[in-house]
Amino acid sequence: MTESRTKPFLGFGLGLRAEHYQDVLERKPKNVDWFEILSENYMIDGGKPLYFLDAIRQDYPMVMHGVSMSLGSTDELDFDYLRQLKALIERVEPRWFSDHLCWTGVDHRNMHDLLPLPYTQEAVNHLADRISRVQDFIGRQMLIENLSSYITYCDDAMPEWEFLSAIAEKADCYLLLDVNNIYVSSFNHHFDPVDYLAGIPGERVWQHHLAGHTNDGNLIIDTHDQDIIDPVWALYEETARRFGPVSTMIERDGNIPALEAVLEELDHARAIAAPYYQAGK
Amino acid sequence: MTHLRDLQLRFQDYLIGKSEDIEADIISTENALAEHRLGTYYNAYRIRLIDCLAVDYSALAHYLGRGAFENLALDYLRHYPSTHPSVRWFGQHLPAYLRDIYAGEEQEFLQELASYEWAQSLVFDAADSESLFQLEDMAQVPPEAWPELTFRFKPAMLWLDLHWNVALIENAIDTGTEVPQARRSDFPQRWLIWRRELKTYWRSLEVHEAWAIEQAAEGANFAAICEGLLEWIDAEQVALVAAGFLKQWIGDQLVLSLGKD
Repeated sequence: MTESRTKPFLGFGLGLRAEHYQDVLERKPKNVDWFEILSENYMIDGGKPLYFLDAIRQDYPMVMHGVSMSLGSTDELDFDYLRQLKALIERVEPRWFSDHLCWTGVDHRNMHDLLPLPYTQEAVNHLADRISRVQDFIGRQMLIENLSSYITYCDDAMPEWEFLSAIAEKADCYLLLDVNNIYVSSFNHHFDPVDYLAGIPGERVWQHHLAGHTNDGNLIIDTHDQDIIDPVWALYEETARRFGPVSTMIERDGNIPALEAVLEELDHARAIAAPYYQAGK
Repeated sequence: MTHLRDLQLRFQDYLIGKSEDIEADIISTENALAEHRLGTYYNAYRIRLIDCLAVDYSALAHYLGRGAFENLALDYLRHYPSTHPSVRWFGQHLPAYLRDIYAGEEQEFLQELASYEWAQSLVFDAADSESLFQLEDMAQVPPEAWPELTFRFKPAMLWLDLHWNVALIENAIDTGTEVPQARRSDFPQRWLIWRRELKTYWRSLEVHEAWAIEQAAEGANFAAICEGLLEWIDAEQVALVAAGFLKQWIGDQLVLSLGKD
């Protein structure tokens, strides 16, 4: 790997969604610094999604975020998928690409869900090896994202933050730290989210996701269909205080409001981070 | 088999409803037992894929009603679990599945409605065509070249032969207008579906145009198409009719280029 280790800071971005295509293209909002695209949505031959992708890419930097690399699966890596991903990377020229610290299926099935792994040394070794192979194939380092999870395996031998850090270190990759996911998992698994942040190597954190969720009383479900709640904003402030400037974006996947409403949330993130990001520059 | 693989196989067996062995591997807490925690994944798997089918087959979902459609989607999920990295392809076997589980006229109608909706999704993100043959380019074709002309069509175009008026039903559901009664013709009608820039279009073809476009797409030249059209058209009119079809196809932005036999 030859990439620079200076942490890039893109500013404040949004997940690009079809509902906002026209608005983004016409208004070119200035308070969005960059967009994240869902890679699989553009692994197609042509038509509307690629038209808007190319047009919006003219005006904004982008990063790519995938959901189907299945880094944790014990099936072989899917090189057909990786070839398509590489082709899309060449088209979009993103600042970086990312996927999740999860598995999505075995025996060639795709459950289309981000399934959690046991936090064991076996899984650390397995993940780190596969991330290294992906990075070698694509030719650049990637970011891996922490999940929201609803289960704890009896096998777990370490807390999630140790698991995440060990893999990032071993594979020499970067982290997409989802602040909402830390909050959700801390509620579901009864840990202090600040302990999580304290266990993360800040220099590897290149991106944050912020999102809303749904609380069923016993578990919080990571639905991305609600506004961001105050405790998640507070945790974001803590990440800003600890890690300094990190490219931050809002992820909204359901119950998608008008672009203006998401931009207001993004401005809120900007305001929270400002004192720490200015100091960190 | 590694411990991790064994765990994943048992987790997946739980998700697809084959076994509950995985429960013993999950910690229960006071506020949420292992069964409840795992159930979150079990339900999410079904809801996510039902919702995906409901988007790809919105007219079918509307026609069947939410309850019946959900039952159909759950059965389909059991028979055709997703194997593709993109959820966009999950629904590709639904028309074939409908043929397997229904019978008689209902089978034919539902299969045709689903096939029509899937065809639209194929056209929606089919490859773009950077350069298309234009009407003004026709003037450049010398008269003596016409008999040997062949035609290359764009990828974002396909046709279906349908007995039922599913195109009209789908369009009415999509636009929120009054849904026509389902009607069956004794003979199938060919429906052409294509994308022009970013918008999807559709129209029905009369039998001689249906025959002509199929021949043209398979590589027949203009003379061969005219000869075949004699089955429906008088000899003195046939070249004019065939040229009219070509003009229509070019005007609809279906033709990439003209070639020579």
